[in-house]
Amino acid sequence: MTTLPSKKGIFTASVLQNRGMGAQFFRLSLELEKRANAFFCAASAGQFVEIDVSQLALPVEKLIPENLADSSQRNILLRRPFSFADIDSSNDCTIIEILYCVLGPATLRMKTLKTGDTVNLIGPLGNGFTIPEEKKSAILVAGGMGAPPLIHLAKVLKKQHQDIEITAFVGAKTKNDLAFFDIKTDKLKKKPDITLHQFAKHNIKTFISTDDGSAGFKGFVTEMLKNRLGENKPAGAETIIYACGPEAMLSATAALSGEFKIPCQVSLERLMACGIGLCQSCAVKCKDKNGGDVYKLCCKDGPVFWADEVIWE
Amino acid sequence: MKNKNIDLTVNLGTLKLINPLITASGTCGYADELDDFMDINQLGGFITKSITLNPRLGNDVPRIVETDSGMLNAIGLANIGVEKFVQEKVPLMERYKTPFFVNIAGQTIDEYVAVAEKLAQCKRLAGLELNISCPNVKKGGITFGTDPALVRQITGEVKKVVNDKLLIVKLTPNVTDISEIARAAVDSGADILSLINTFTAMVIDIETKKPVLANRTGGLSGPAIKPIAVYLVNKVYNEVAKSAGVPLVAGGGVRNASDAIEFIIAGAAAVTIGTGSFVNPDCAVKIIDGIEKYCLRHNITAVAELIGCLK
Repeated sequence: MTTLPSKKGIFTASVLQNRGMGAQFFRLSLELEKRANAFFCAASAGQFVEIDVSQLALPVEKLIPENLADSSQRNILLRRPFSFADIDSSNDCTIIEILYCVLGPATLRMKTLKTGDTVNLIGPLGNGFTIPEEKKSAILVAGGMGAPPLIHLAKVLKKQHQDIEITAFVGAKTKNDLAFFDIKTDKLKKKPDITLHQFAKHNIKTFISTDDGSAGFKGFVTEMLKNRLGENKPAGAETIIYACGPEAMLSATAALSGEFKIPCQVSLERLMACGIGLCQSCAVKCKDKNGGDVYKLCCKDGPVFWADEVIWE
Repeated sequence: MKNKNIDLTVNLGTLKLINPLITASGTCGYADELDDFMDINQLGGFITKSITLNPRLGNDVPRIVETDSGMLNAIGLANIGVEKFVQEKVPLMERYKTPFFVNIAGQTIDEYVAVAEKLAQCKRLAGLELNISCPNVKKGGITFGTDPALVRQITGEVKKVVNDKLLIVKLTPNVTDISEIARAAVDSGADILSLINTFTAMVIDIETKKPVLANRTGGLSGPAIKPIAVYLVNKVYNEVAKSAGVPLVAGGGVRNASDAIEFIIAGAAAVTIGTGSFVNPDCAVKIIDGIEKYCLRHNITAVAELIGCLK
């Protein structure tokens, strides 16, 4: 069922657009050199690229947020992994979209990329989400910065299975942390109307939660998911859950997948030095065939794993 | 494009390498992981990641953290164990012409000897690299490499079982006098010395007041350590290796041809690429081109002329 890892390579990419979406979130569109087309045309949702940001300039001092002032002084050595929020690849052209949030010295540098700049990246890396033929409905669960690969997945699911019913559950700490969402306040309802247009355009019903209740359901996204699964009791054979977000959220989603007997795939995140299986740093503790523990690599064996193969701690 | 007038070969004991570039243990996988990025046949040599008698899961995560121009790792010698390595990975090496060295590690001298005995039977291998310098395991590793008496004992015992294989001993920089350790290794049978392994180091998360790495400490590598590595290589070359006629395989933060040439001038016969491969997996091959260009520019006909030519 797992897609075979595609051949990977090192490529240069030129920036088509690097647009801010609110204070912290950015959308980076990259066009890859032609040689990359053969590598990326079969790339799947959930795969990622490692971008070299070591050569990128910092913003001018006054534009560096106070919380990043110290870490911005650090020289960057390692590439940074990003899953794609979209990829458009043909024989002629490959364009990838990366959604990122300025969180540290690397993404702070990415913010300064301008149209026409070039970056160097390695990809496509890892194994993406599995799309089984027999499923009639898919549940997407995104926490914090987990939305991008699920946005890509939603597009692929709709393309491959026109009839598949997709529901999305999206959670964040507060309304302002809802990455990449268009927030409009409806004055009559006095409640913010939040949509993710990438989901909306595929008619995906989206349920929002925030830890502080500033938008949508107050509480964790997994609590909201649990309520919903309890009400609807979807058939496990016909349904699949795809999740991406913080580890605690994924662990809770995995538990729900077990409780409601719905297969679930999770996209994990690890600190990684190389992204190509050399450094062994991105270990994920999994069950082996004989019931023992085995460390798999997030970069090579993942980042997408079946929820029931991971040992959640 | 190869310039036929420049001789890039270097000698490591009885072995002639086509050029001085070698992958450093623990940064290049077991054999074929870099295939998508380079032709392994273009390398002077290949040193695999550490192999132990039994498989090891390795340390908990986080296992790495980036530092200023460097990184800390505490992988904990995660590996598939010697049996599986011989069955599954050694056959992969048949595809290449490159000389392969296997880095070996253990918790006791008996374990090192047992691994060495098994690998000595593999015709495909050019030699073994004795890892007595891993800072990230609780037993073995660096405990051997910081005590000259233990270095003598372990090198001597392993030497007895490696038959015709070349024996490299990899030194740790975490000692007061690296030359004393180097001398102990050479006196007890090391054919080649490699240096340096990583520096024991720590990064603290000031919000949680805890070390970032699950192992608390890790080994510092990358460009941050390069000047110290160059100094230590030159020290061992002058004080031990040159007079003993023992070649040095050296590195620490090498990421381009200039870095590699520095190590050769300091006394290295071959240069290892470690952390550099994480950032640019094809960097070893690019460095070979760069060394050739340097030789052309300096009217050097053989790269071996550069070894230890520090004025």
